Amino acid sequence: MIKKEYIRSVLNIFASSPFKPLGMHANKGGEAVRKLSEAMHAYCEGDMQRVEELNREIDAIEHEADVLKQTIRSELSSSIMLPVHANDLLSFLKPQDSISDDAQEASYWLTLRRFEASEDIRKGFIELMDKTLKTVEMYEKLVDTLSELLETSFSKRDVEETLALVVEVEEMEHQVDVVEKELMKKVFMEEESLGGAGVYHLSRLITEIGNIADKSEHAADRLRTMVMRR
Amino acid sequence: MVLFDPLVILLVIAGLYMAWNIGANDLANAMGTSVGSGALSIKQVIIVAAVFEFAGAVFFGKRVTSTIAKGIVPIDSISLLDSHLVAIGMLAAVLAAGFWITLATFYNLPVSTTHSIVGAVLGFGLIAAFNGIIAFGDIQWGVLIKIVGSWLVSPLLGALLAFLIFSLIRYFILQKTDDPYNIEKKFVGLQIMTACYIAFAHGSNDVANAVGPLYAGLHALELAGLTIPLWVMLVGGFGMILGLATWGYRVIETIGTKITELTPTRGFSAEFATASVVVLHSFSSLPISTTHTLVGSVIGVGLAGGLAAVDLSVIWKIIVSWIVTVPVAALTSALVFTALMGIGI
Repeated sequence: MIKKEYIRSVLNIFASSPFKPLGMHANKGGEAVRKLSEAMHAYCEGDMQRVEELNREIDAIEHEADVLKQTIRSELSSSIMLPVHANDLLSFLKPQDSISDDAQEASYWLTLRRFEASEDIRKGFIELMDKTLKTVEMYEKLVDTLSELLETSFSKRDVEETLALVVEVEEMEHQVDVVEKELMKKVFMEEESLGGAGVYHLSRLITEIGNIADKSEHAADRLRTMVMRR
Repeated sequence: MVLFDPLVILLVIAGLYMAWNIGANDLANAMGTSVGSGALSIKQVIIVAAVFEFAGAVFFGKRVTSTIAKGIVPIDSISLLDSHLVAIGMLAAVLAAGFWITLATFYNLPVSTTHSIVGAVLGFGLIAAFNGIIAFGDIQWGVLIKIVGSWLVSPLLGALLAFLIFSLIRYFILQKTDDPYNIEKKFVGLQIMTACYIAFAHGSNDVANAVGPLYAGLHALELAGLTIPLWVMLVGGFGMILGLATWGYRVIETIGTKITELTPTRGFSAEFATASVVVLHSFSSLPISTTHTLVGSVIGVGLAGGLAAVDLSVIWKIIVSWIVTVPVAALTSALVFTALMGIGI
């Protein structure tokens, strides 16, 4: 309230809702991973210029996500009463924020070295990326249900719907894990043709992409805690 | 015609100023919730507020007005001594309350007009007792304790009632529906009704803050009997609507854009609870703050899980404003009274 007006009101009792920026923040993560997926396809086709371009775009998205995160945190002072525990909300915001962080990291690793592996590994990477993106998009869908939950003030049916999506995210993350392990094996089987640096680069890339799905699962898990402990 | 006694004219002008302030801010606060939820447009809300505020003031405002005029300070025993003392004292009270409200509003402090006028009238009683016109024991301390008690009880009652209403809506309606947005649409109609209800309630309670002193002065000068003349209530109602029309609409706009969180089901719960508590107090002749009751009701809806974020720090601001307002208004009123006597009005 910087502007002084002839107003006497106590209706600043209505604090700004953290749930809207929370949804926007989740979408930033999704956006970053969609860009990363695009970058991965460009990478596999050897289009390094496009990879660089997308890397810069992902950097910008990650920064926007950070700003949103800071806004949400700064508006949650101790006097704010939410329909959920504020601590639960913050502890689910953290892994959610890591989604765009990890996408940024993976995208950075893409720019470091050209793709020089077999067709088999290429397919593996596309599959890993694809499954990771699906996990993140399912996670976005999960966060979307929060607004409906608030609208009905946590009706049993909506809570069940939300919890069902948490299970879906977990299931998809598990599938990413399987692909991740398989791909890692393949990379090491080709260690002679790839060379030390090549193996290191690809294995690091696999880990970074896998982390994205891990963080989505982690955030989904925290979201469940938040909804159930309410 | 003695109605044109300069004291009466001054009391009318000061009363109108108070009424203007009440309409510009307090009424706007009460109505802003209906705009925030999208139930009514600004234009519609002003029409609803004008009609029902006026009706509440004119038809149901006399009980609280009597309390402000005669319930706290024994004006009859003062006017036995000199009827002008009462008129001057009440003028001092309404000037002091108006001054404090103006100052508080400039600094955006959540001060209640009710608390200000009660404090100011008490200040007049105290200075009268200090000057030996009445005994300290003659001030109706019992009534005063009841009034102050109602200031604590009314927000709590609002919270409780709103909590219950929203919990019922939540349990029986929101949790059983597939389409909560459709339910919200259906509540728009109900919220229009509660907007009328809250305007009526507000009019019935807050008009006293403006015209209670005026009636006291008229009564002491024997220009009004035991019942409050209709024109006094009309002055109050008119002043409040004027405040709404000339400034309140801007306050409503500001508030309405800020509180989009309050959907019709939530708005209905908070408004119905607030209006019921206020009408109950009007019936019991107790002057309370509608705005503070509304805050209690909003917190009640929040406690029932109906709001995304409620900032409880407002509670402290309100408590501080209680503690400050009554003594400040009382002291100012006593000083103004002394000054008016000094210049020999």
